[in-house]
Amino acid sequence: MSRTAHRTTGPLPDASEEEAGQTEVVQEAFEGRRTRWAPILSYALTVLVLVTLNFAVPRLMPGDPIDALLAQGSPNYVADDAVREELARYYNLDAPLPRQYLSYLANLATGDLGHSIHFNRPVSHDLRERLPWTLLLITLAMILSIAIGLPAGIHSAWKRGRRVDRGLLGFFLSVQNLPIYFVGAMVLLVFAARLRLFPLGGASTPFADYGPLATVLDVGHHLALPVLLMALQFAAFQYLVMRSAMVSELGADYLLGGRAKGLRKRRLQYAYAGRNALLPVITVIGMQFSLAVTSAIFIEQIFAYPGLGLYMFNAVFVRDYPAMQGAFLVLTVMVVTANLVVDLLYRRLDPRTAA
Amino acid sequence: MSRLLTEVRRSPLLAVGVVVVTVLATVAVLAPYIAPFDPKAIVGNALEEPSSRHLLGTNDAGADIFSELVWGARSTLVVAASATALVLAIGVLLGLVAGLRGGVVETLVMRSADVVLAIPAIPLLIFIASMAGPSRTVAIVSIGLLGWPQVARVVRSQTLSLRNRGFVHAARGYGADPLFVMRRHLLPALGPIIAANLAFMAGLAVTIEAGLAFIGLGDPTTASWGAILERALRHQAIYVTSMWVWWLLPAGLAITVAVLGFTFIGVGLEPRFNPRWTRFA
Repeated sequence: MSRTAHRTTGPLPDASEEEAGQTEVVQEAFEGRRTRWAPILSYALTVLVLVTLNFAVPRLMPGDPIDALLAQGSPNYVADDAVREELARYYNLDAPLPRQYLSYLANLATGDLGHSIHFNRPVSHDLRERLPWTLLLITLAMILSIAIGLPAGIHSAWKRGRRVDRGLLGFFLSVQNLPIYFVGAMVLLVFAARLRLFPLGGASTPFADYGPLATVLDVGHHLALPVLLMALQFAAFQYLVMRSAMVSELGADYLLGGRAKGLRKRRLQYAYAGRNALLPVITVIGMQFSLAVTSAIFIEQIFAYPGLGLYMFNAVFVRDYPAMQGAFLVLTVMVVTANLVVDLLYRRLDPRTAA
Repeated sequence: MSRLLTEVRRSPLLAVGVVVVTVLATVAVLAPYIAPFDPKAIVGNALEEPSSRHLLGTNDAGADIFSELVWGARSTLVVAASATALVLAIGVLLGLVAGLRGGVVETLVMRSADVVLAIPAIPLLIFIASMAGPSRTVAIVSIGLLGWPQVARVVRSQTLSLRNRGFVHAARGYGADPLFVMRRHLLPALGPIIAANLAFMAGLAVTIEAGLAFIGLGDPTTASWGAILERALRHQAIYVTSMWVWWLLPAGLAITVAVLGFTFIGVGLEPRFNPRWTRFA
C-alpha cells in the first residue's frame, strides 16, 4: 500500500484510496516539496472557509439580521438604543459587502466577536469563561476513551472469533450507533434522577465553599457521567479500528519469532503488534475531535454543563446571532486545529512520511 | 431485486437491516391510516397515562404520543431519503468527473472535498438551521452539501483503478463513448460500495434530523422523534414519575432502531467489496 503522503487532511485508513494513475512518478517529484507545507496550507484554507461562512451565513438569510432580531414581538426585542447601535456597528450593514467583510476580519483580528444581545456582554468575554470547561470535558473524555478503546481492541483482536471478541464487538458496534442525546437523557434519568448517585447537572455545586481537594472531587463528581458517556462513544470507533488493524498484524512473522523467544503475551500484544497497529488509530483519533465537539453540544445541554456547547444551545434558543456566531467559530476552529496537530504528529510517527 | 435476495440470504445483518427499514418505510407511507389521531391536535387531557384510546398516553399539551411516533417515522424517512439522494447525486457526479477528467478539475474537486470533510458538519448544520429558521428543506440541503465528499472520494478512487483495467480499455478501443463505459462498466462495479456508503449516510441523516429537533431546530409543522424527546425532557415531571417509560423511551428507541437498521445494511454490504471483512466480522 503506497501510503498517501500528500493527502492533506488526515490520511484515511483506506487502502484503495491511492491506486492512482501512471503519473505517479511525476507527482512524486512535486509532492516531496509540497508535503511539508500541505497540512498547514490546508489548515489555513479551512479556517478561512470557516471564517467566511461565519460572515456569510447570517447575511444570506432573508431580511436584515438586526431587524429580524430586534423587531418588536421577537423574543429579543430590545428597546435600548445603545444595544442597537452596538449591533449596527458590529454588523456594519450599510457598507458595501467587501467593506463589511474587511471590517469583520479586522474585528476578528482584535478578538472582537461582537456583543451578545441576550446576555448583553461582549461575546468574547463569555467564550473565554466557558472554553476551559469544554476543553476539560473533551480532554478527559478523549484520554479515557483511549484507555478503554485501545486495550479493548487489542484484547478483542487477540481473541478474535471467541466469545469475548463477539461480546466486545457487539457492544461497541451498538454504542457507536446509539444517539448520544437519547442515551445521555436515559443515563441522567436513571443514575442522577432516580438513583441519586450523581448530581443532576452543572459543573460544580453552587455556592459551595470547599477546600482545593474537595473542589476537585466535587467537579469530578459532576463530570463523571458526561465524561464516561462521551468516552464510550469515542472508544467505540477507536476499538473497531484498533481491532481490525491489530488483526492484520497478528499473522506477522515477528510475532511468531517473539513467541518462539518466549516473550510474555502482554509484551507481544502491546509493545509489538499493538505498536505497529497504532497508526490508523491515531488518524481516527484525529478525526474524532469533530465528533467530540458535536457530542459536547448535546451532552452539555443535557447535563446543564457550563461549556461552549451549552452556550451555543442557549444562543440558538434565544436567536442571539452574535453569540451563536462566536460559539460556532471557536468550536469549529478548535476542531480544525486539533486535526492539524494530529496530522503533524502522524507525519512524525509514520516513518514513511517522516521528513 | 433477485441479487438483493441472494445478498440477504448470505448476511443475517443485512437481512435485519432490510426488515427494519422496510417496516419503517411502511409505517411512514401508511402513517395516516395507522395513527389514530392528528399528532398536532389536542385530543385528550394533558399527561394521560397509556390507555386503549391513547396507546402511549398524551403529552403535556394533550396530543397523542403514539400518533406523534407514527408520523415521526415519516419525517425521519423523508429527511433520510432526500438527503441521501442528494449526497448520491453530488458525490457520484463529482467523483466520476474527478476520476475521468483528472487535471485541474480533479484537484479542485478533491481539495474542496478535503475542506468540506475538515469542517465539523453538525455544528455547521446547527449554525445554518438556527440562522435559516427550522425547516426540513434546509436540513436536507445542508446534509447533502456536507455529505458528498465521502462518496466522491470512493467513486474517484475506484474510477481511477477501474479506468486502466483491460475491459475498459477494450470498450474504449471499440469506440464506446464515455457515458456508455460509465454505465456499463463503472457504475456496476461501484454499486455495492456506494450502496454501503449511502446506508451509513442515511443512518447519519436519521441521527441528524432527530438531533436538530432535539435542539429545538426541528420543523415545527411536522411530528419528529427528536422533538418528542426534547419536549419530554423539558417537562420536569419526567424526572420524578414513570412518565418517561411511554413518553421518552419509545421515541428514543425508534431513533436507535432506525439508525441501527441503516447501519446494519451498510455493514452487511461491506464484505461485498472489502474481502478483508469476511474473515473477521
